Amino acid sequence: MGLLIGLALILVAADLAHPRPLPTLSAGNPGSLPEPSTNPTASTLAPTAATPEPEEDETIRKPIVEKVRRAALPAAHTPARHGDTSGSYLIGQRTLVEDYCGWGWVRKEGEGWNKGRWIAIEYDPEVCPVPHAFLPRPQDDKDYLYQLYGDFAPYRAYEPQADVWVEIFLIRGFLSLGPAKDTVRRDPPHHGSAKPNRFAERGANLR
Amino acid sequence: MIRRLALALLIVLCPELSWAYDIVLISGGPALRSHERFKVNTHDRYWGNFVDSTLARVKELRKEFGPDDKITWLVFRPGYIRRGLEEKQDYLKILEERGHLHGLTPIYFDDKDQLFTLLQRNGSPEKPLIARLEYYGHSNKKCWMFDYSNRVDGGAIETQVVHVDDLENISGSSFTPDAKCVSYGCHSGEEFSQRWRMIVGRPMVGAVGKTDYSAGGLPKLSEGKGGSWAY
Repeated sequence: MGLLIGLALILVAADLAHPRPLPTLSAGNPGSLPEPSTNPTASTLAPTAATPEPEEDETIRKPIVEKVRRAALPAAHTPARHGDTSGSYLIGQRTLVEDYCGWGWVRKEGEGWNKGRWIAIEYDPEVCPVPHAFLPRPQDDKDYLYQLYGDFAPYRAYEPQADVWVEIFLIRGFLSLGPAKDTVRRDPPHHGSAKPNRFAERGANLR
Repeated sequence: MIRRLALALLIVLCPELSWAYDIVLISGGPALRSHERFKVNTHDRYWGNFVDSTLARVKELRKEFGPDDKITWLVFRPGYIRRGLEEKQDYLKILEERGHLHGLTPIYFDDKDQLFTLLQRNGSPEKPLIARLEYYGHSNKKCWMFDYSNRVDGGAIETQVVHVDDLENISGSSFTPDAKCVSYGCHSGEEFSQRWRMIVGRPMVGAVGKTDYSAGGLPKLSEGKGGSWAY
């Protein structure tokens, strides 16, 4: 009798031992793709499966109305002074590199830009915004000089274009020094021959 | 004796009888519009891209799984707080309400260490193994960026990204042997997927090219770039 029970249990076990079926995505989603090969290199899959027609219950979103409003000063001049401007400072030159993380270059007073450091600025709006927050567009203070007051953060920022880590400056105040005489002719941090912006595509959400 | 052996065999062969598996869906955070608004390649006009797409997926999963199957929704909290401050909205409340409609309560994480802890599983009822993991958020080929263009313009804070060099913190033993993983971020199929497979030991499907969340629902590969999905 015990033998029969044991046999029955083994049969039940064999029946239940099949792996539990995992959910599959509908056509066009990666979950419905075939099992991956053992080849560790990327094996591309049929692109036709990746662009499905919208399903019936799929949301097609309407255009988004922007809610964030920037200041719109008539002239491209930031306040001469903002926030806490006591203590030591760095000279900063606003530099724009398309699709590259960061605010620009900073250096100590009296040093040349060859010793400059590329920074991203993190700010608390209640303490001190970045200078260009006062302008209609972020690029409106390109190549402007500032005295920047604050400290370097103990953590870094990830720059996704160049796959490098950028220093973060926690701003608490600034003093505007007006336009610089010249552009800083240096590339921000990057790997070897891969110049910044070499891969000018990133991120999600095109619209 | 035979009875005991059969019982032992049953337990070994059928762990499903003891506890269920878990499906983990991760939602990254949105960028701030004050950083992105004037860029040619602008991001996140809509704050809830990664929330809506995750919940659209839940809807799909519910059709295939039973109502009792466990889905864990991990949400990167700081991104929604900051975007909410910018637009004067309580996005955490809104996403919780949306999750509630799908029977889900978000579990928040604030940095990658918290995420690693949430992904540590031992197969117990409290920490069931992960049978499926999906990521919805910003990424490039080397990195999941929960925080992209939020605290700093055009970048992500070090502690709020999972770089391929961090993958050793995710153990393959937290997943079922046949677990499936998908990253719906951009470019993941170009390197991240392969590194995940090598280090975590489970296959991950990722996009070669960009993914586009702008139409709502599940993200699609961006048109015109010849993108595809890859392991």
